[in-house]
Formats: sequence, structure tokens, C-alpha cells
Amino acid sequence: MLQLEGFLQALNAGLLLGAHYGLMCVGLSLIFGVMRVINFAHGDFMMVGMYAAFHIFTLLGLGALLGEGAGPYVAALLAAPVLFVLGYLAQRFLVSRVTGTRVGNLEGEGHYAQLILTLGLSLILQSGGQILFGSVPVSVPSELSSEAWELEFAGGALVVFVNQARAWGAVVAVAIVTLLVLLITRSRTGKSLRAAADNVQAALYMGIDVDRAHRLTFGLGVAITAVAGGLLASSYPFTPYVGLEFVIIMYAGVVLGGLGSTVGAFWGGLLIGVIQQCSALLLPTQLQNTAIFAVFLLVVFLRPQGLLGRVSERT
Amino acid sequence: MQGIGVVERGTTRRRLMAGAAAVAGAALAPGSGRAQAPGTVKVGLLVPLSGIYARFGQLMRMGAEIGVRHINEQGGVPSLGGAKLDLHLFDAGDSTEKAKNAAQRMVADHPDLVACSGAYLSSFTLSATEVTERAELPMLTLSYSDLITTRGFRYVFQTSARAGDQAKVTLPIMLDLAEKATGKRPATVAILTDNTASSLSFVQPIREGSAGFGVKIVMDETFTPPLSDATQLIQKVRSSRPEMLIMPITVISDVKLLIEKMNEFGLGRGRVPTIGSGIAMAQSDLLQNIRPAQMEGFITVVGNWDAKGQDKIIEEFKAATGEPWMGQNGIATYGDMWIMRDALEKAGKSDRRAVAEALRTIDITEGAALYYPGRRVKFDANGLRETAGPVVVQWQNNKPLTVYPQDSAMAEITWLKR
Repeated sequence: MLQLEGFLQALNAGLLLGAHYGLMCVGLSLIFGVMRVINFAHGDFMMVGMYAAFHIFTLLGLGALLGEGAGPYVAALLAAPVLFVLGYLAQRFLVSRVTGTRVGNLEGEGHYAQLILTLGLSLILQSGGQILFGSVPVSVPSELSSEAWELEFAGGALVVFVNQARAWGAVVAVAIVTLLVLLITRSRTGKSLRAAADNVQAALYMGIDVDRAHRLTFGLGVAITAVAGGLLASSYPFTPYVGLEFVIIMYAGVVLGGLGSTVGAFWGGLLIGVIQQCSALLLPTQLQNTAIFAVFLLVVFLRPQGLLGRVSERT
Repeated sequence: MQGIGVVERGTTRRRLMAGAAAVAGAALAPGSGRAQAPGTVKVGLLVPLSGIYARFGQLMRMGAEIGVRHINEQGGVPSLGGAKLDLHLFDAGDSTEKAKNAAQRMVADHPDLVACSGAYLSSFTLSATEVTERAELPMLTLSYSDLITTRGFRYVFQTSARAGDQAKVTLPIMLDLAEKATGKRPATVAILTDNTASSLSFVQPIREGSAGFGVKIVMDETFTPPLSDATQLIQKVRSSRPEMLIMPITVISDVKLLIEKMNEFGLGRGRVPTIGSGIAMAQSDLLQNIRPAQMEGFITVVGNWDAKGQDKIIEEFKAATGEPWMGQNGIATYGDMWIMRDALEKAGKSDRRAVAEALRTIDITEGAALYYPGRRVKFDANGLRETAGPVVVQWQNNKPLTVYPQDSAMAEITWLKR
């Protein structure tokens, strides 16, 4: 019975944490899928999102206004427009120089320049964060981060604790992914993003403003990951270097789900959360992240295009 | 204002060349007191003032500055004609290389320093003392590493108990405290540790010695920090039902995740008495990340802490810094300044060799001794303070209070009866 309880507890923790990972991965995947940019600064944009949520929460007094239950979620959502603008501007003035229609003249289709640019952005965000926010870890106060719903089974012999902060965070994450999928598949803006992703030249001939599509994409990708960071910020103290702890997980999730597949990235992140938590049932806890990469390598070996990726390259 | 120094940092080639020459010069003819303003004696504080450890260095700086101010207000060093202490600050940065470079600049640019204190992390202290040892500059430190005073160095003085020694005595001390509070000795213990060097060296003697104390280890888990979720670990604690949990944690995010998860699972607030190591579980930064009520009952073992008889200084520190308590970083550097003053008084001259010799033979139970557990300052042949022992701190009424040793305790330990 104890083993079953341990398994259910691990599965529950993995799913809840995985939903947060999934949302982070969706932001990264959107940028890669549409712009073909590997954004090494993505974890650091998430860090800025966490600080944005923290300062929105404290400056607007959301704790007093909405309580420490709902306040952190509203702060996380309000961080999205802030980071959207930051991402939009970063694409407009920096990333656009090495992407889109300009990459024809650049070596390696601009990928080398993109690599250096996003790594540079990452360093600037980290150092800027250190100067602006200092090195003392902070987190968004939440009364739910140590509260749980106790689910009893077998007459109380088996109890599963569902963390309330993580559970509500997972609900918000699923809602955002659903909205994003609807935006991409149903709206005119979404169609322009997909067109820009599939074939830049054809999209241009069809009158689509590809540069605008890229700006929207980068802003959206960064904003979505910022919300994921904001959701985590109530249960996870962070410093300006917190992005480094998540960026590898984001990449693993995106590749697992299938490069360029937005929904696949969410499932990839969710799977990573489950593997990370459930592996502790069989392996020493120190090997939690090793288990993630073992599965990652297995998927790359058996299904290189990822779980929901397409086999053929886009034209 | 006399006694409060400016931060000195930065390296140029010229400085390095001058430094190398001065290190050699200092080794040949150390500390003559030349080039000092009349009536002042230079002392140093080498701590991180930039980078990720800057916060801790600032606390150490605040303690030292208050110490120097008090000493100077109370007449300085009487045997030197009332000479005032002149504190110079050196930024150890955020790496061992930077700490060593800062130490080199310190001895090169200030051949008239008579003693210093530092350098926060044991790894910083180990590298900095390689420089101060060559320059024959006495250095006082709170760092825990066993290596600091087992290398045969003659100019380093460790005021805290070594990590290995702390670990060896922690289990019997905790068993005794539990028995005194509840009338029953815990018979089972769980170990949950991160895999940092200090945490592992803390739990190793407990793993090896538990059977000798009649204690059975019912769970032993090691994890790599930082955690992303603590559910599995606390589920294992819950399943193994220990009477006591040893949980040395060094990363603040892990403290939050583990403590909140323990509270979520109904194991917090002393229901499973939990003992950590070091200041991660008692530093004031925790207040920005976790409700203090959730820390209630948690215990940590440190090298020094706010203690009985220090109320006036603690209140002054809190008023000056806005900190909720003084903690080991502030109290230790405050005390170090007083040890330097007492050593200068005993030496009778502003000379680093004479100060080092005075430190080797000093034996005081008042004044500076008040700021260290064991209430005595006497160093053994290796430079280790003889009466140094662990300080047990427990969260009670929203703040960490010293509960052991008895002569320093500000409260009785609370231990829930099962």
C-alpha cells in the first residue's frame, strides 16, 4: 500500500510540475517553430517574468487586494504583457537582424549569429538582473504553496496530497495552451504565424507581413514562458540565475515533444515532469535529472522527430 | 569617519607587480606599522562584497564596523596609547581565485595591516590563507572546514568548531536535548541531505556513529540541489516515520520546498524534529520566501549565533542594519574585532608577528570571549579555538533562537512528545 501511495504521489507531483514545464516549453517551441531561432536566452526571459510577477504582486499590493491565494496567479498573468513588449522589442531591434528575410546573406542561415546573439542576451539579462534585483532569493508570497487537498483512498489507508499552488498553476497552464492553440488554428493572426513558419517567401508573396509575424511570435513565446515562471515563482525562490536551472529542461521538452510542435512541446514538458518525479521511485534521488536525459536520448534514438514532430522537413 | 574603511577591489598589472614585490617584502620584514596615521592600527576584513555572496559579506561588514566603532569609542588599544582601529575592507568576490587575488592585494597594498578576518566560505578562506600565511598576517575565521587548521599553518585562527567536530557531537547533543525535553531518547533517525561537501561531511559521522548511540537509520536520501519539487523526498520521510530527521540543506530554494512540503504533509512545526546544519535554515533571507510560522520548531547547528548577554549589541545591530537578528556572520566579525584588540593590547605593539604570537598565547574569558560559544578565547597549537563547539539554534516564535550551549541559550529547546 505504501508503494502504491508513493507511486500516486509521484505521478501527481510529476503531472502538476510537468504542466508548468510544458508551458515553458510551449513558449520556446513557438519561437523555434515559427522563426527557426534557438533562443538560448529563453530561461533568462523566464527569470525576468518571475521578477515581473514578483514586483507586480508587491507594487500593486495584490496580496492585500486579492489575497495570497489568487494574487500570485493574477501577478503571473499580468507579467505576460510586460514580457510580450520586452520580447517584441528584443525581436524588433536585435533578433530580426539575424532572422527572417535577412538571413540569406549570413553564414549558416544566420544560426551562428543567432546563437551568439541569444547567448549574449542571456548574459546581459543575468548581469542586468543581478544589478537591478540583487542576489537575495525571493518568491511571490502564496498561502497555497504549503496547502494541499488530501485525497483519501481505501478507507483512508492511502492518502495523496495535491499541492494547491501547483494544482491551480497547472490549470492556468492548460488554459493558456488551449487558448494559444485556438489562436494559432482559428484566428487570422494564427494563420499568418503558421504561414510565416511554413514558407517565408510564399507568405511574403501572399501579402503577409513576415517581420510582424516574427515580432508577435517572439513576444508571445517570451510572454508564455514568463507566465510559467510567474506560476512557479510562488513555490520556488529565484535569483537572476534561475533561468539556467530550467533552460535545459525546456530544450529537452521541446525536442521530446517534436521540434516546432506547440502541443507536442507541452506534452514533452509534461512527460519530463512525470519522469523526473517517478524516477525517484526506482533510482537514487540524485539521478532524477539523469533519468530525464536517458529517456530523452532514447526518444532521439528511436523517434528523432520527437513524439508529435513531423518526419519531413518543412519546405 | 575613522575606523570605517572603504572597499578596495580591482586589479591592474602595475598593482599585481607591486603586489608581488610587496608580498616578498612583507614576508621578509612584516608589519612595522609604518605609513599609518599616528594613533591608528590597521585591521582588515576580507569578505565577499560583490557577486552572489555579497549579502553575507555585507552582514559581516556590518558586524565588524560596529565592533570597531565600539572599540574606538571605548578607548581603542590602551597599551598603544589608545590607538584606534582602522578597518579596511577587501572584496573577496564570488570565487576562490578572486578571494586569493583580493588577499594578495590586501597584503601587497597594506604591509602595515596587523590582522584580518574573513573570508565567509571555507573555500575562500582556504585560498586566502595561503597568501596571509606567507605574509605572516594573522587571520581570524568563522569558516568550518577541517582543513583550515590541519595544514600546519601558524597564522590562521579558527574561532568556530570544525565541520567534522560539529558533526561528531551533533547526534549525542541532540539525543540528550530530546531526552531532557521529553524524557525519551529518539531511537530512529532519517537522513535527508543535499550532496554539497559541507552537508555530506556533516552527515557522514552520523551515518557511521548512529548505531553506537542506539539509533537506527530508517531512511537515507541524498539529492542534488536545487530541487524542482520535494514531494518524493518528504513522502519517503512520511513513510519511514522517523523520530528525528537530519536535514542539512545549503540552498534556500530547497529549504523552502522541503519545509513547505513538510508542513503540507503535516510533518512540520516540530512534529518530526528536524535538524539542519549551517545558516541556510536560519538566515534572514528566508523571511522573504517562507512564512516564519512554518519554520517553527526547525533546528540548525551553526558555529556561532546571537546569545545570552549580547542583547545590547544585537539590538544596536538590528537598529543599524534593519536585520531581524544578528546571526553568525555579524556576531563573529564583531567578536573578531575584539579579539584583535585584545591581542594588540597583549602584544603591546602594532606588529603582525607580535599580534600572531599574542593570539597563540591569549586566554580570555571576558570581553571578546562573550561573543563565542564556550565563552573562552584560547587557541590550540593548530590555531583552533579550544572551546569552540556547535551552537544549536531553533525557530521559536518566528525567529531562530540559541538553545544550546546552556551558557549561550536564549530559550529552552522545544521537542514535541510523540
